[in-house]
Amino acid sequence: MILITGASRGLGRAIAERFVERGEEVLGISRETQGLPFEAVACDVSDHNAVKTIAQGLRKQKKEITGVINAAGIASMNLAVTTPAGMTQKLIQTNLVGTIHSCQLFAPLMMRRKAGSIINFSTIAVALGLKGESIYAASKAGVEGFSRAFAREMADFDIRVNCIAPGPIKTDLLKGVSGEQIEAIVSQQVIPKVFQPGDVCDLCEFLLCPQSKSVSGQILHVGGA
Amino acid sequence: MNLEESKSIVHACISEITDGEVNPTDDMNLIGKEASLDSMKLVELCLALEDKAGDLDFEFDWTSEAAMSRSQSLFRTVNSLAEEFHAQSQSKE
Repeated sequence: MILITGASRGLGRAIAERFVERGEEVLGISRETQGLPFEAVACDVSDHNAVKTIAQGLRKQKKEITGVINAAGIASMNLAVTTPAGMTQKLIQTNLVGTIHSCQLFAPLMMRRKAGSIINFSTIAVALGLKGESIYAASKAGVEGFSRAFAREMADFDIRVNCIAPGPIKTDLLKGVSGEQIEAIVSQQVIPKVFQPGDVCDLCEFLLCPQSKSVSGQILHVGGA
Repeated sequence: MNLEESKSIVHACISEITDGEVNPTDDMNLIGKEASLDSMKLVELCLALEDKAGDLDFEFDWTSEAAMSRSQSLFRTVNSLAEEFHAQSQSKE
């Protein structure tokens, strides 16, 4: 079974649907679960106890977890000086603390078997230091730092931990961003083009498959940074 | 389950995860300079105890704030870990 947080929309949804297409058993974990075409459970990953309850349930069911993909996240494009304190808290709690909760509570389900792969999500905004994304980038820089150190902690259990850091990807979340803003970011990528959700799904498939057994503690920039 | 049975379970788990290389005693340190297990073995011990608790139909929660703060740490010695394991088994009954 593959656990995917943030599975109700955007990249998380696309990734979940890709693995379902491949015949994998998927459990989506998201705040909204209504109408999802795969098994899903409602949970806010920033709530430690809620994530813990799911982990305990999976352990009791003796589910064999092969991968965890932490795609749950929120974005807020704002200058730091105009970002309300509540939004700062929300960004850190969901993007960073939520990822930590998921990793620390779901990893033990794979540690018993000494096998598994964890994928966390960062953003190209960290590498590029994008204006107007300082707090969002800070939350994701935390995810990168956590992932690199956590990869070393998990290596003894043959669990790999990597980060995917996408640039602008064609999802609903990009609808509110102007073409000029997207172009300004994309032009700084090594491959200056807007990638599709399917390209991120391809990377997820690779990072979960045995062919990536030598890859851990890495930040993979979609399009290059 | 009484405290002695809890101790037996902890001792058995330590022997199991170390392939018999560590002979546990009640006052054996689990953390600190004198620790007999490295941090990864300590995690393996907790996972093993979690599984034993599941077999005995209770949840062994080794990450809760309450368990961690109780008398400094449940991981001080084999005995303190056994006491916590026993306490949690009783609280579920």
